[in-house]
Amino acid sequence: MDTILNPLYFAVSWVIITIHDLLSPIFSADSGVSWSLSIIGLVIIIRIILIPLFVKQIKSQRALTALQPHMKEIQKKYKDDRQKQSEEMMKLYKEHKTNPLASCFPILAQAPIFFALFTVLNGIGRNPPVKRGVLTQEDVVSAAQAKFFGAPISDTFLGTDITTVKIVTVFLIAFMSATTFTTQRQLMVKGMPKMDSSNNMMLQQQKIMLYLFPVIFAISGVNFPIGVLIYWSTTNLWTWGQQYYVIKRNPTPGSPAYEELERKRKQKSGDVETPNSGSNETIQEPEIKGQRKQPKKKKKK
Amino acid sequence: MRKIIIGIIQFYQKWISPSFAPRCKYYPSCSSYAATAIENYGIKGVAMATWRLVRCNPWSHGGVDYVLIKEKVGTN
Repeated sequence: MDTILNPLYFAVSWVIITIHDLLSPIFSADSGVSWSLSIIGLVIIIRIILIPLFVKQIKSQRALTALQPHMKEIQKKYKDDRQKQSEEMMKLYKEHKTNPLASCFPILAQAPIFFALFTVLNGIGRNPPVKRGVLTQEDVVSAAQAKFFGAPISDTFLGTDITTVKIVTVFLIAFMSATTFTTQRQLMVKGMPKMDSSNNMMLQQQKIMLYLFPVIFAISGVNFPIGVLIYWSTTNLWTWGQQYYVIKRNPTPGSPAYEELERKRKQKSGDVETPNSGSNETIQEPEIKGQRKQPKKKKKK
Repeated sequence: MRKIIIGIIQFYQKWISPSFAPRCKYYPSCSSYAATAIENYGIKGVAMATWRLVRCNPWSHGGVDYVLIKEKVGTN
């Protein structure tokens, strides 16, 4: 296993050390800021590399506009058979050589890097520190002392008695759960084309997310060094930001966010047309806005 | 052994998968493909499931892809 992962240790440690050396003159070599920012820099580089894949996926989602009539037809035809419905949908995608779904690849691609970072940081946390990849003895000793908000970045919740490490871990776990939850919720409420999926199912999914994610993050998080949690938190935050941008600026046709954007564009161009929407999201809106007394838009009863 | 692996897959399907947005390019999804493959082929099914997971990547177009089941092939 180590021989397979060895190149990855080199890559991960090389990226970290390069960023660290660039930041050292600003924050000093032993400072936790340089080391923490190196990990964050690693995330940023990986996510930038993955952007083309994301763009590709967005493009194929846009290509669906042309397929909209076919999709509606399928939905109507197999109204009561969800299985048949998704099967036909997939056939349609394949026929038109487009597929809006992301596949597991973006997640799976990050897993080995995550693993490598875990091992590299774990080595640093050992007593005496174990150097992996391109790290020198000097680097490991310096990194072993680096602190993130007072918690050494190579310490784990379970492997220490330091209260600061425990507090920082709990904070990071809460942060990861919150970002995952908001990302998924944002996507389900605003970003997805309205399918036949019932509200009930969505609510149930959100409930699972609300309880399950903190549990998963807590179970794994207490075993991970702070540095890995920094990586995880940053990558979650990136996912959220990326999705926020797309939903705001370039939403999927047919999704509530798309209708919202269309409406805004119409208003800007001075076209006063009654917005035509049937989504749950927009039905709820007038009630809230009514209370705030917003006179601008006239909604249908 | 098969039952344990299938149990894990079913746990994933029931509890973990619903909390993500649907993402699989294929029908049936990789996880149910894996369950069927392992149920019918055992260790070879694991390889089939892995291969399916590899095929489900950003460069593929997905589509409908069932596990070929021996008995069915025989009766045809």
